[in-house]
Amino acid sequence: MDHILSIVLFTPLVGFLALLFIPSSKPAAIKLWANIAGFAGFLVCLPLVFAFDRSRDFQFAEKVPWIPSIGASYNLAIDGYALLLVVLTGLLGFLSILASWAAIETRLKEYYGCFLLLQVGMMGVFMARDFLLFFVFWELVLVPMYFIIAIWGGERRVYAAIKFIIYTLVGSVLMLLGILALYYEHFRQFQVRSFDVAQLMNTQLDPNLQWWIFWAFFVGFAVKVPMFPLHTWLPDAHTEAPTAGSVILASILLKMGTYGFLRFSLPLLPDAAKNPTVIQVMAVLSIIAIVYGALVCLMQKDWKKLIAYSSVSHLGFCTLGIFALNPAGIAGSMLQQINHGISTGMLFLIVGVVYERRHTREIAEYGGLLRSMPIFTIVFLIAALSSMGMPPLNGFIGEITILKGAYQVSLWWAGAVVLGIALGAAYLIWLFQRTMLGEVSEKNAALKDLNAREIAVFAPLLLLALWIGVYPKPFFQVMDRSVTQIVELVQPGAHAGQMVPNRLASLQR
Amino acid sequence: MPEGYLPIFIYLICAILFPIVLLGLAKLVRPSLPGQVKSEAYECGIQAASNARGRYTVRFYIIAILFVIFDVETIFLYPWAVRHQKLGWFGVAEVTVFLLILIVGYIWAYRKGALEWV
Amino acid sequence: MSQYYTSVDHFVLVPAILLALFGCAVLLFDFLLFPEPRQRKYLVWFVALGLVFTGGALWRQQHFLSVQKIDSITAFGGTLTIDGFALFFNWIFLAASLIVALISYKYLETAGEHQGEIYGLILLANCGMFFLAAGTDLITLFIGLELMALCFYVMVGFLRGDRRSNEAAVKYLLLGAFSSGFLVYGFSVLYGLSGSTKLAAIRMALESRGASDPLVILALVTVSVGLLFKISAVPFHMWAPDAYEGAPTTVTAYLAAGSKAASFAFLMRMFMGPLAPSRELWEPLLAVVAVASMTVGNFAAITQSNVKRLLAYSSISHAGYILLGLIAGNDTGVQGVLVYVLVYVFMTMGAFLVVAALRRKEMLGEDLEDMAGLVHKSPGYAFLMLIFLLSLAGIPPTAGFIGKYFIFLSLIQTGHYVLAVIATLYVAVAIYYYFRIVRSMFISPLTDRAPAATSLGLKLALAVTGLMTLLIGIYPEPFLSLAQNSLLR
Repeated sequence: MDHILSIVLFTPLVGFLALLFIPSSKPAAIKLWANIAGFAGFLVCLPLVFAFDRSRDFQFAEKVPWIPSIGASYNLAIDGYALLLVVLTGLLGFLSILASWAAIETRLKEYYGCFLLLQVGMMGVFMARDFLLFFVFWELVLVPMYFIIAIWGGERRVYAAIKFIIYTLVGSVLMLLGILALYYEHFRQFQVRSFDVAQLMNTQLDPNLQWWIFWAFFVGFAVKVPMFPLHTWLPDAHTEAPTAGSVILASILLKMGTYGFLRFSLPLLPDAAKNPTVIQVMAVLSIIAIVYGALVCLMQKDWKKLIAYSSVSHLGFCTLGIFALNPAGIAGSMLQQINHGISTGMLFLIVGVVYERRHTREIAEYGGLLRSMPIFTIVFLIAALSSMGMPPLNGFIGEITILKGAYQVSLWWAGAVVLGIALGAAYLIWLFQRTMLGEVSEKNAALKDLNAREIAVFAPLLLLALWIGVYPKPFFQVMDRSVTQIVELVQPGAHAGQMVPNRLASLQR
Repeated sequence: MPEGYLPIFIYLICAILFPIVLLGLAKLVRPSLPGQVKSEAYECGIQAASNARGRYTVRFYIIAILFVIFDVETIFLYPWAVRHQKLGWFGVAEVTVFLLILIVGYIWAYRKGALEWV
Repeated sequence: MSQYYTSVDHFVLVPAILLALFGCAVLLFDFLLFPEPRQRKYLVWFVALGLVFTGGALWRQQHFLSVQKIDSITAFGGTLTIDGFALFFNWIFLAASLIVALISYKYLETAGEHQGEIYGLILLANCGMFFLAAGTDLITLFIGLELMALCFYVMVGFLRGDRRSNEAAVKYLLLGAFSSGFLVYGFSVLYGLSGSTKLAAIRMALESRGASDPLVILALVTVSVGLLFKISAVPFHMWAPDAYEGAPTTVTAYLAAGSKAASFAFLMRMFMGPLAPSRELWEPLLAVVAVASMTVGNFAAITQSNVKRLLAYSSISHAGYILLGLIAGNDTGVQGVLVYVLVYVFMTMGAFLVVAALRRKEMLGEDLEDMAGLVHKSPGYAFLMLIFLLSLAGIPPTAGFIGKYFIFLSLIQTGHYVLAVIATLYVAVAIYYYFRIVRSMFISPLTDRAPAATSLGLKLALAVTGLMTLLIGIYPEPFLSLAQNSLLR
């Protein structure tokens, strides 16, 4: 148990290195090994779940000096929030590899290699407790994603890939400046060079400096989330990426942005986060994302682009919840991030299923698939209901919690959330109606239903969606301490009367 | 402020103005009837056969360069010659090293055919 | 030994003596001992031997400094100094020379112009670079500069039958001579102001004169012209794209890495030595030059279709980045300059090596189309090039990120926030044109099925540069402490 986090982090890397030795002439062996490596990557996350102690903050800590002269160390640890994201990454990493079985035929070794490297980067982001290490993993994600989009993607893949990388890179290097400013300020106050986030929290930052560093971080995280108006890379990247690439992009990569806000912007820069102007700006951008994203979905003709914009809209909920700065908002946002990973992951996999069969993403091409693919329709229905927030599925829990948090701040915010939920229902139901119900053309009638592998890909996600929707208590319990820590920093004393669900008061001191 | 330079500046300005004024006045006053024969380059009455920028043998250039190198080498021997007594054996060693480096260059040039006239 | 040439003088001068000796010996052995073309590989061994001996001499100096716990040894009355700074750069030069000697063999053979003189020129250029790094006197520095530059003029024009190579050499020569003229004029003004050619004495004289003295401004401007020319900073960068493109690719690698490193050593000595008192004059000047270099370099590289020209413009922008470290001026900034130069040498040489490997008799292998589909033909080269390009862009965990880290940190520490933001934004511009090459290698279909060149020297050189690029990125600690001990104050 000592080095469990390193094992989780490096299992995909070991898988990658072993993959290099399998000859390219044996595609079946490559696919099999990749799936084994992905599954192993998920299995090693499970001990974390069982060994996680809900009464402690950061656990499974590992710290080894890396660059002593500048104070950077190999420092890993997770708390409840990070645990959820790590397990989600492990699960979706494996499922996206499994989903690519029949979809990718050329250059298999590079493809699975990119996915395994991506897995290392994503895990590292959620586990790093050293700012420089965090930045390294943050950037590590860029290059494999570029290749996934640019080599195995759709028609405009090269454009989409370079757009993705330039946008994200601009954000990350500005974030680097914020990190360096924080590091230097810490050095000026304590004469110690350190990138350790726990130590950097002790720095006394005056509000003006916090303001600038907040905006530097903002650019980096907002591009990833993506927040309006830095979201324009998302539709291109999602539509042009191969199915599994879109799944991993939507489910995990986007969460890196919100994780950044919750893990770094709020705890390290509380005065900036509480600043009314900042809250105003964040709220406005989030609400625009929610409403604008949903409205644009309504007019989309491309199935994948519709789901891409729905991601913009859903993550608007998450960012609004974060900047409500109360326990309900933050806990709701954390849970909704997990939910979004599950439901949007499912939605992209669904598009992938039909794309594999018909090789078109035009919604108009489809219709009446209920008749030819009944199991698929059920899966789609559950995914859509989960995404739009219908009980008893997971989306409802997340959205109602965010609604509660938003309501406590302002009626306008709550109104926006409600509007977003309504629009979400609108575009998803309409999508469902256009594609699954109605007249079935000949081409659609001939489509085969889900095979065993595809059902296996959806099954864990469906189960999770149901579980979180019916019994979310363990999830809230796991993230409770994280939420309290963050809220304590931005609004001391606020959590006392307002803890989110029910009987968690016993966990409070 | 260096006042002694004032006459020089005045001379400079005069020198610049002199041709400008003369040529300018001449251009204003003289008639201008250019013709093809009048504009040709002067070649002692014979018609020019080609562009004046012809190709020339590069061996002149090589000779010039070799001259410069070995001439400067000789020049550098003078300071040593003036002070050779004070510099003693160290000076002799130093100059020998200097000459040896240049002899390496000389041997290289010789073997590579730089000293051939043809 | 005599009073003019003490044992300290000798100890300091040994590396240069060895390099000059081996350089001249190579020139002679080329036709005396190894006249046959196939015997040229013994010349490479001989060069390697010479570099090993020189390395040994450098090691003795380094060891002496650390054992005696002294900062520097000065020789020849203060005109030559061995300190951490000089040793740091000398190791870099040695590495660069070794790599170039290894790869020149195959490249020049393919190009049909494999003369033995290239090896002599490499060693002699290295000798000139030694003086640039270790010199603390105007004359010594100038001699080193000219020795290095003359060797490079010849090396750039080495492909005698190629018009582009001739043009590149003449352009470089003319512009270089012109800028050297400016430089020497500036030196003469500095001598006039202080009565001495030693850097320390000039510094003291300029300190007492004050910064707004018009003669000081004149000296500063003219010396800057010469220095900025050598590092190919805007607006004296015009020679770089043509020289880099026309020269044989291995010479381009040496030019981009070794010559630039030496020129930066020279620049640092000048700006942190005699010109340091007039910092408030040259700081805004260099800031403008740095921003202009990054701008011109990055934006001009976007439209290039010749990879060597693209890398030339990108090296102009890197010169701008390194200048930012000097502008910041604190210890982190100087450390940043040193670390950046170290990583820059390896990643630039690596990138040019891959381009050199693509050369065939009839095809130059320098265009973007020539690299199409390289990953299918030679995956090793393609992945190494990817690593070098990521390092040039500054993406962790490669070495280039470590260099940029220090530069950005130093800018933030000294309050140059605007410069920091500009520098970081240009990283995104750079990624665009580096990824044009990546796209060509990895995504474009393979059109030219002829295999790329391989030779032992090439493999060795690529292994070294690739390894260093990754190593410094993942485990930079030893290099950082080496740079920390080599600071110039």
